[in-house]
Formats: sequence, structure tokens, C-alpha cells
Amino acid sequence: MNYILPHTWSGSIQTVTIGATKQEGGTRSVSYEIGGDTDLPFMNRSGKKPLLAYEICDDTAIWPQVVRDAMPKGISDPASWAAYGEKTLKPDCIRLNLTSTRKPNSSDFASISATVQSVLAATTLPLIIEGSADPAVDSEVYIRCGEAGQGERLVLGTAEADRYRSVAAAAMAYDHIIIAQTPIDVNLAKQLNILLRETGIPDNRIIIDPYTGALGYGFEYTYSTMERIRFAALKGDDDLAMPMISAPADSLTVKEIRESDSPSEIAVSWERATAVASAIAGAAILVVRHPGTVLPLRTAIDALWEGSRREVSDGA
Amino acid sequence: MALKPLEIYKLLPKKNCKECGEQTCLSFAMKLAQGKADPASCPYLDSEAKAALSSQTGAPIAKITIGMGSRMITIGEETVFYRHDKTFYHEPAIIYRVVDTAPAEEITALAARIREEKITRIGIDLQVNGLAVDLGSGSLKQSVTAVTTANEGGDIPLVLQSEDPEILKACLAVCGNYNPLICAATEHNYRELCDLAKKYDAPLVVRAPDVEKIGALSKECMGLGIKKIVLDITGADSGEYLSRATLVRSLALTRTAPELGFPILLDCSGSVPDNIVTGIVKFASVLITPQLPVAEMTTALVLRQNIYTDPQKPIQMTPGLYRIGDPGPDSPVFMTVNFSLTFFTLQGYLEAARVPCFLLIVETEGMSVLTSVAAGKLNESVVAEWITKTSLADEVNEKKLIIPGYASPLSGRIEDATGWKVVVGPRDAADIGRFLTEEWK
Amino acid sequence: MIQELSNTKGEMMTEIPSAIIRGREKISGTISALTGDLAFPETAYHLPITYAVTGREVHTADAARTAYEDSDKNMLIGAEIVVAEQEREISEATGYTGFIEDALIRKLGYSLVDGSILGLCLILGTPPSADTAAAICRELQEKLMLTFLCGPVITVLTDSGVKVDLSLRLIPLGATSIKGVHFADILARVAMMFGGVPPGDVSRLITYAAERAKAFVIVFPSLSDEEIAFVDALRILNIPIIQVGGYEGGEWLLSDPQTAVSKGMELRGITVRVTAIPIPMACSPAFEGKSIRKEEMFVEFGGGRSPAFELLVTRPHGEVTDGKVTLIGPDVDQIPEGSAVPLGIIIEVAGKQMKSDYEPVLERRIHNFINYGEGSWHVAQRDLIWVRITKEAVANNLKITDLGKLLAARFRMDFESLLDAVQVTLITDKDAVTRALADAEAIYQKRDERIAGLKDEDVSLYYSCILCQTFAPNHVCIITPERPALCGAITWLDGRTAYEISPSGANQPVEKGTLLNAVSGEYEGVNRFVRKASHGEIQRCVLYSIMDAPMTCCGCFEAIAMILPETNGVMVVTREFRGDTPFGMTFSTLAGTIGGGAQTPGFIGISKSYLTSDRFLQAEGGIQRVVWMPAHLKEEIRVKMGESFHEKGFDTLFSIIADETDAVTLDELLTYLESVSHPALSMPSLI
Repeated sequence: MNYILPHTWSGSIQTVTIGATKQEGGTRSVSYEIGGDTDLPFMNRSGKKPLLAYEICDDTAIWPQVVRDAMPKGISDPASWAAYGEKTLKPDCIRLNLTSTRKPNSSDFASISATVQSVLAATTLPLIIEGSADPAVDSEVYIRCGEAGQGERLVLGTAEADRYRSVAAAAMAYDHIIIAQTPIDVNLAKQLNILLRETGIPDNRIIIDPYTGALGYGFEYTYSTMERIRFAALKGDDDLAMPMISAPADSLTVKEIRESDSPSEIAVSWERATAVASAIAGAAILVVRHPGTVLPLRTAIDALWEGSRREVSDGA
Repeated sequence: MALKPLEIYKLLPKKNCKECGEQTCLSFAMKLAQGKADPASCPYLDSEAKAALSSQTGAPIAKITIGMGSRMITIGEETVFYRHDKTFYHEPAIIYRVVDTAPAEEITALAARIREEKITRIGIDLQVNGLAVDLGSGSLKQSVTAVTTANEGGDIPLVLQSEDPEILKACLAVCGNYNPLICAATEHNYRELCDLAKKYDAPLVVRAPDVEKIGALSKECMGLGIKKIVLDITGADSGEYLSRATLVRSLALTRTAPELGFPILLDCSGSVPDNIVTGIVKFASVLITPQLPVAEMTTALVLRQNIYTDPQKPIQMTPGLYRIGDPGPDSPVFMTVNFSLTFFTLQGYLEAARVPCFLLIVETEGMSVLTSVAAGKLNESVVAEWITKTSLADEVNEKKLIIPGYASPLSGRIEDATGWKVVVGPRDAADIGRFLTEEWK
Repeated sequence: MIQELSNTKGEMMTEIPSAIIRGREKISGTISALTGDLAFPETAYHLPITYAVTGREVHTADAARTAYEDSDKNMLIGAEIVVAEQEREISEATGYTGFIEDALIRKLGYSLVDGSILGLCLILGTPPSADTAAAICRELQEKLMLTFLCGPVITVLTDSGVKVDLSLRLIPLGATSIKGVHFADILARVAMMFGGVPPGDVSRLITYAAERAKAFVIVFPSLSDEEIAFVDALRILNIPIIQVGGYEGGEWLLSDPQTAVSKGMELRGITVRVTAIPIPMACSPAFEGKSIRKEEMFVEFGGGRSPAFELLVTRPHGEVTDGKVTLIGPDVDQIPEGSAVPLGIIIEVAGKQMKSDYEPVLERRIHNFINYGEGSWHVAQRDLIWVRITKEAVANNLKITDLGKLLAARFRMDFESLLDAVQVTLITDKDAVTRALADAEAIYQKRDERIAGLKDEDVSLYYSCILCQTFAPNHVCIITPERPALCGAITWLDGRTAYEISPSGANQPVEKGTLLNAVSGEYEGVNRFVRKASHGEIQRCVLYSIMDAPMTCCGCFEAIAMILPETNGVMVVTREFRGDTPFGMTFSTLAGTIGGGAQTPGFIGISKSYLTSDRFLQAEGGIQRVVWMPAHLKEEIRVKMGESFHEKGFDTLFSIIADETDAVTLDELLTYLESVSHPALSMPSLI
């Protein structure tokens, strides 16, 4: 008997291009097209392999302790950190988290342009930037991110329902991609996409961040929300047909890690497991912070997508 | 599509005899529609109706047990493809593997680890479930010795891994009455293994190189009278497993291939942590793995708990008074609902704020703050009730309660009902740190 | 170039249509004589207007001339070519920007999208006085507009000490008014950069300018013919031209200088966000639940102690002055402490999207907003309100008018897209309250009649609710005037209001489409909507039926109606009812079985109020089918319906509907129904 999957899909995931090479008007060594999938994630190795992003920041004060402890010596600034990431961990992209903007009354906007430029110079990989999260400074922050990365087709985050205008404006003014984040709810994700479309952002410049709750602390909500977004998209809902990004950063600050004798081991395990489960639920970009996570996660994703080179015994 | 209750009702005798245990034929029909009753419970069904109902009701994936006693594993009985469609019912069993050449002390130690090691979250103990003995030594004596050691106590569910009928026969002679999982029947040995499985009424794994052949073999075994089957669909890697599992689950749920309506086994040895994650989120019921370091074990158990939480029934905390750090009589008192996620989030931020405090959790049936305020589950009387029950007034000098921002409409009524002064805290737990430093005095 | 006009007394007027004709000729003449290259600096958009309108990359006078001729002498293109020629050598004299480079336009566009600039205004000509011009500029600055200036108005302003600079949101384009061309070329570039408008696509350019680039022009007297021809051409882009005197004929709108800005903003639908409430009292949802005890109270209104009411009404746009608060009667400084004073709260609102149907919904928010005040408290609604203010608040200098300010601001904040203007009248004078109360009563009554009388066939749109999809992923509630959401919390009007206020929210309009069955309530459009919103899981949703494709059940229904085949009738059980039912399951077991978004013929989740609707189970014979319901529900309905309970004949029917005192088991129920000859027994068979 020949078994055939009983489901068919009418929709597909929107393609989004991130990063720009010289030919495309930027300076990256590579650009990626994400999305385009027409089936459940990884089914019969169809669709695209998720990208791995290594996340760095410009102020480690609010960075998870377990990640700070695992940082290699000699990294003094975001640029050298990005260079280390690219060279040693070989991720597909770098995410720069502008944590310096999270300080109360942050106002050193000039340094934002300089930081972005220095990171762009230090890495050849496409760049994702996580900017401020405060309406009071958003306008100043995002214009600088947008301007500093003009031509590079950055991925700019994060738009939220009550503060998306500055990110959207920067994406439109300087041709970048935007991350739209909603708190683990499929309908809110849909609404934000509609709002963004109304401001003039085309669908092929939006990436959905359904928000990744920590493993053990609500990750199941994220997992199901991602499955539902993917399902709705495949069923033909264009408002949810954008690729998704997952950043399991919350899994790095849980009690289990804080109270462990070997926090790094648990951190890598939790971050990787959360990222793999998110990929299976449909995430197109996986963002990790612990340097120890990148290589094993790469192996995991390869096994889901490419097949390992292991000899297959035939059961007999 | 599954039959609706009324469609089933039409096939029933409509006698309301109550002999099935239900009050009415219609409520029996509802149970059948949910796969929670067996058509055979109705003594008055004609054979035609019975046949129609048997193929269309009941869980599309068979329920199977492994082992006996308090550690018995129940798997299968799943009804949905996505957990958000209803829920996943039976968590996959995580089984540690040991080779039969291992020294007896090692096997005993591993069994002890499975027996004793646990992590407790939200009042629930999470444990690895069983022991698989890889009977690969080729020595009958060694295999039997290893199984005998593993079965000491008889409480740990066992998986016997061998394709050799003779070895399995000998080992089953030792542990067959403890309902072990026989692993595995192939196209070469299935007749002998089916006999063994029947003899001990034990569940049987079927294994073949691809899903088509697994289905064919499963059909053969069913033909030989085997009802407790587990499908080993382990592929070359997690990607192949994922595709196979998706296919098997879909066909089972649509009842298009009854021979695939059985729980799935995944051997995780290839790439352990990633296979475990893939198996947990996607349909595996039995995961066989070398024993895991504590970190990996914790991850697997917690992920499993997450994925198998009923999405429609939030995990609830036990209401009561919790302490963050070592609070004293002048420490602040926070109050919130017994939705586990709310509790954990708040607890995390309170711990991060490094201000010792009390956390009063009141009973809201697991609803979040917003929902419980809207539904009236969080109200002044429930707050008063838990202040009394926990003797909160004896703990602190000042009767002052910090309530969640979204509960602000209740502040006046709580003050009136409890006599405590109410301070409205932030709406977002992330602002607790700032609240404690800037607003709390 | 500037034509002299003697209009000092405002009597000599420039006649616009003839000026346009003369202007066009002069511009055409200038263009016919042009030679050489033409280019603006630091732009990728060539001559931007020409490029946007024609798609041509013009760099020479010859190409420009051809583009101008081919565009049928489009005056925007014509003026752009003239200005390009003027700026060929140097872009502008010191103190003026002239052509603005692309990089800066990106920043300006950013501020426009990002909301830090609400819109664009161009001011040109010679103002009658420096004060007039300065007042207009100040108003534009305060209202977060970006203002472009050109011509004599600039020197008039700077001579009187007004600073003009980009950082002050006043941009001096050039010394002559024709430099207003740069305003148009900025619009053209913003449309291409931000709107994705392809060069040469005039219709998309016009759409973009109409919908996104919120711009208007204020014209002072003394424009030249060419300038008039150019300014008039801006109307192509749907930009209103507001003149403050000096012109006649044509399509320019006349306005007082004092109201020019608000007129322009109103025409373009630009509204200023309210972010702060200027009163001496903290105002936040955190204070909502605080009550004010008698000892803490300075003054109270209503609550049976004095006449008081609240009313929110819609008015035409011109009749509402945003933020205006009027007090009729004494304020706290003339009221003795501890007294009860009459109060009328009248809120008048205006907004393009506002409809009178929303009034009750908005009016209910007065309750929340007054409670947001740290020292103010409010309960009940309409003419039953009871309001208190604390001694502490009064000691902090809070006035009754501040409550008005609070309300005006909160309504604007919370209903930003709905309301453009809110004004509040507070009445504390007893006679005035009595008079106004009579008017209010009449309005309340009219509203009640309208809502009570609204039938499903009176409306063309129903509303959906998918709030519950969070836990019931395929559940879709269809809300009609006669069938509220099954949670009982959302009526059709609520659904509509929610949609209007938040158009991308959980409540969406549902086109009824073709009526397939009037009795069972099946509509082709409803089916189509449900199919899509349930992700293809539910094919049909028959509104008034329990047997044929009934609505799905989420989990928050107030009650369950289910058939009891043996009785040929329907049983209703409420969430509050904890006991056993004749069916053999309690409410909670039953709810767990049918909830989660499934469609289960024979079982529906309903709101209590649907029970008394004429549409209740219309397909199966209506309320006559009901054979059992809990006693408390009978009583609740009886109280709620009042007179109409009797009028509808429910007293007879309800007396033969069994409750838990008549029957708990099915057998008891059947015996009871026989004994009362319940109509369901003789109705057509349900299954």
C-alpha cells in the first residue's frame, strides 16, 4: 500500500530576502531568502532550512549571566564580538541587540550609528538589529539604525502593537525588513501585520515574532501559536503568511539555570531544545545567545533538513 | 471525519437502559464520539451497528500499556494532530537503554536511577519511565542474567531489544508476566514474536525499513491476533523521522490505515538530544535513549511536560503563601492568581529584584489575572478567604497588599472586604523591579 | 516677476481663473526658450515631479520641454522646470534651503511615518501682518505639523523675530513663492521612496498623496500669475488650497487666518494625539477600583441625594470645539464641604467615523474614566449616576471643571481613531440640571427603542467574534441583533463599535450575502466567513438551528441548549446550575464535552438573552421546544422581561417548562411533560 498524506494546502509562506550583497546594493558576503514554504516544516525536506543567528549586544549589563560567563576573553566591543561570532561559530547571521538603549533615560544616540556601522564593518553576514523598546526614544534610535544600515537590508526589530511606527518608518525609509512581535497570540499577530500593512510595509518585508516563552515557563503556548500561524498560512491566510523568527532568550534566565551548579550545560541544553522545537513548529530564523549553542544547533537543524551522513542499517 | 453524537445516537437502541453505565443513550453517544467509551458496552447493539461504530469510534490510536504497578506506562489513545486542537493525552515514555553485557551493578544502578531520580515542577514529579535492555551480546545466558537483574523489583517497565526469538523467549520467561515491550518484530521473525506476545499478552514493536513495510507488517501481526502494537518508525535522522511520524499520525487519525493506528517508537541513539526533542513534539510515544546527563534529562522532561499540558486547562498552582527569599515582618506582600505562568513569571521578576517578599496565591481556577477579573473568579471574597487561610496577618507588621495592575478595579472592594490597605502594582511583571525601587515604600 | 496688486483694503481681488491662464502662458513661454542641462543636486529622482508623473529621467532643457508638452502642460511639471532653471547655478540664497537632497527627505519621511510629524503645510504669499503669519506658524508647530515657507512670508516672519529652521519645523524653501515647487517635489519623492509608487504611475501618485501625505496649503495675498497657476495645480494631488483673502473665483477655500490651520487639518483628517491630562490629580487605570468613603468625601452628586445624569451625544464637526469644558453652576469653591449637589455631564463628540449608535457604548466609559482619577469616583449610569470627589483632591486644587478636562482628554486618548473632537459641559446648577435631564431622558428612551427594535433583517452586516480562538482555535461566533455572542457579553452593537474602533480586531463585519433559508437563518455570506475564519474546519453555520450545522461552542457560553430526543424537546442548563440534569450530565461535564470550538448538532452554547429572542431555535419551533430549565433561570427571565414576559405569553409557557423541582431524571421529566401536555410532545420530530 502506498501511503499518501491526507492534507493539501492552498497557501504558502511569503518569501523575504534579508541582507544585501554588493550586487544588491549592500556589502554583505551573502543574502538569504527565507519563507516560500508550501508544507509543514521539514516535511520531506521541502521548504527552506532555518537560519541560525548569533546574538550579541552593546551593553552586557542586562545580558544573561550564564552567557556573560561563557564569553570568550578579549571581546571588548560589539564589533570584535561580531567578528568572533562569524569566525568561530559560523552562524548564518548576527543579531545586534542595542541593550544600551534599555537603560533609563538613554540618550546617547550618536553612539548607536557608530555601533551599527562598526558591527557592519566587522562582519560580512546579514545583520539583525534589536533596537529600543521605549516609545520615548524609539524615534531617535530607529532612524539611526535605519540610516547606518542603508542598503544592507537589515532585519529591524521590534515592532509591537503599541509601538511600531518608528521601526516601520525606518524599514520604509531605508529599505529594511521588520520584525513584528506580539505576545504569544495568533490573532494579535494577525492584527499587527494588518496594522503594518496599513502603514505601507509590504508583506514581503515582515517577519513574525510570536514571542518565545521560556522552556518550562510557557513555551507550550509559543509552540502552539507558531503551529497555528503556520497552519493558518498554509490554509491561505495571507495576514499570517510571513516567516517567523524565534529567540529563546527567556530560556537562559530561568530558575533551573540560575540555581544550577553547572549553569552553562543546562543553558545550552534549554536554549537548543527550545530552538529545535521552534524550528519544528515553523521558525525560519533561530536566534541564540549562548556561544555553546550555535554548533550543536547547527547539527540538529542539519539532521532535520539535510539528513545526516550516518550509515543507515536496514532493520534486518 | 469522526461521527457526531447524534449520528451515533441514531445507531443506538434508544432504550436508556443504563446498562452501559451512562444515564441515557445520548450521553453514551457523546462518550463514544469522544473515543471515551467502547461500543461493546452496549448489550443491545445489532451487529451491523456495532461494526459501523467500532470502525468509527474509539481512539484512532490504540491505547497500550507497558509494565505494571505504579510505574506502568500508558501510551497511545491520541486523537489530534495539533495539541491546540484538543490536547495530547499520554506523554511519551523516556526509556534508558543498557546493554546486556554491562555489569550487574551498572544495570542495577541504572534501574535505581530510573526509580528514584525525579524533578518536581508545579507539584508534579517528572521521571524517566523505563529501562530497555539491548540483548545484543549473542549470549543467551548473558541476556537472561541482564534481564533478571533489570527486572529485580518488578516495578520498572522493561523493553526487551532483540530480533532473536530464542533470546526473547528466554528473557520473557523471566519477565514476561510484567508486561514488557517486545522490541522488535521484523518481516523475518514476526510469526515467532507474535506467538510470544500472545503468550504473555505483551505489547509488540514492529520494525521495517519504511512506512509502507511497517504498515504491511503491522497488518500481518494484526491478522495473527495481535492488538498491542508499537510502530518503530525511527529513520536515518530526525528529519526522516519527522516526515514518517507526520504521515503515520495523519493516516491514523483519519482512520484510513487502521494498521498505523498505534503508538510510535523512536530510537534516539543517532543524535540523542535532537531526536528526543523531535520525538517529544512530534508524536513519539516511546523514546529509547542512552541514559542522559542531568541537564539533558531535565530539558527532555520539562519539554515533555510543556507539550503535554492541556491547552484548555492551564496548569494551576496550589493557592497559599509563598516566600521569595527570606521575607520578614516588614517585607512587601504581593498577591496574584494561581495560573502557573503568572506565578512563574512573577516569581522570576521578584527573585531578580532581590527584595525578599511574600507572594499570596489565591484560587482562580488557573485563570490569568485579566481573565479571572473578567470572569469574577478573582474577587474580594476569594482574596479575603486566602488572607485568612494563610494567616497572612500574623506574618507582617503592616496590612498592606500589592495587587496586580489589571486587578485595579477590585482595589476598593478588597480593602473593604479585608481591611488591608491595597496598593495597585504594575500591569506587567517586568515592571516589578522598577515598582519596588521607585514606588514601594 | 511679481505682479503688483492693490489689495490693501481687501477690495482689490486677484481673479484666480484668469490669473491661471496668464500664468500658464508665462510658464510655457519661459520653457520654450530654455536651453542647456537641468538637474537638481544629490537626488536619484532627477526632476522629481516630472519623474513621478511621466516616468522620464529628464536632464536637459530639450527633454524637459518634451515632457512638459507631452504632459499636456502640467503646471506642476512646468513650475518644476522653471525652478530647475532658476537653480541651475546655485540652489538658493543664504537662509533658504532651495532643493532638498534625498537624504534629508528620507529623514522627513521617517518622521511622517513614525508619527512625530502629523502632516505637511505649505505657506506662501505676503501675509497681511507678521502677527498673523506668526500665529499660524505657532499653531502648526504646536500641532506637530511640518511647515514649508516660501516667498515674502519668510522675511516678514524673520524681520519680526520669528526663527525659521528645520529643527523648528519651519522650512524656508526660497525667496519667491514659486519655490513652493519643492514642496511638491518632496511629496513626489516621499511617494516613490515610502509609498512604492512607480515613476510614471499618476493614479497611484494621486492616491498616495490623497491617503498618506496629509498636506494642505495656506495662501496669503499677492501671488504672481505663475505662482497662482502652480499652486492651483496642487489640487491635482488632492491638496486643499486655503486662502485667507485676496483672491476670488476658482476652487480655493476661503478661511479666516485664525481658523486656517484647523480647517486644513480637519480637511485632511489630521488629529493631534492627546498624551497628557492637565489637571491637578493623578489619573490612571490603577485607581479604578478605589472607592471614596463618606468621611473622605468633599462633595457628592446623584446617588439619590441630588438629581444627576450623564449623556454622550454626537454632533456635526463644526459644532464641537475639541477640549472645551464649560461649567454651568458653582464650582467646588462655592460649594460647602460634605454637600450633595446636582450634576449633569454632557459630552459632545465629533468624528468622521462616529455614529450615534456608538453613543451608549462610549457613554458607559464615563464610569471608567472618572474612576481613573485618584480622587474621583463614579458608579452606575445614565440618570442613576453617583459621583464623589475627595477632600484631598479639592485640597490639591481640583475643580469640577477638571473632571471635564479629564473626560475630554481620556475620550480622545482611548478613541483616537473614532473621535476628532470632544467637548464637555458640566452642570451643577439645579434648574439647569433639571431642564437638561428632561432632554436626556428623551434621548435614553429613543435609544432603548432603537436597540430593542433592531431585527436581524434590518441590518446587512453581522459581526464576528474570534476572541475565544485563543483556546478554541476554530470557533467563530456570529453576532446578530437578535442573537448576541454566546458569552452574553457582546451584542451586535458592541461588535460593530469594537470593529469601528479597532478595524483589525477580533470583531469583523460579516456580509450576510444571499439568504439561503429564512427560517433556519442560513446565509451564504455567513457560511463563507465561517469557513475562512475556522481555517476550513467548519463549512456551514446555521444561525437559528440547533440541529442543522449549528454554531460552534467555544467554552464561555452562559448556557447550553441541547436536545433530549426522548422528549422531542430541548433542555437548557446554565453555568450557575450545579445540579444534575435530566440528561445525566452536569453543566460542567457537558461544557467540557461540547466546548473547544466543535460543531455538535443537537448541542449549542447560548447567551441567556438569546432564549427570549424571537429567533431562538426558529428552525425547530422556538421556545416552545424548551422542556426543562433551572428554576433560577426562569425567575431571572421573568424579572428581566418585566411586562413583556406576560405580553409574550411566557407565563403560561414557563409554567409547563419543568425545572429541577419538577424533574431531575429523564423518566420524571417525561412523566411531567405528559401531565402538562407540553407542546414539544406533539411538535414535528427533532431527529
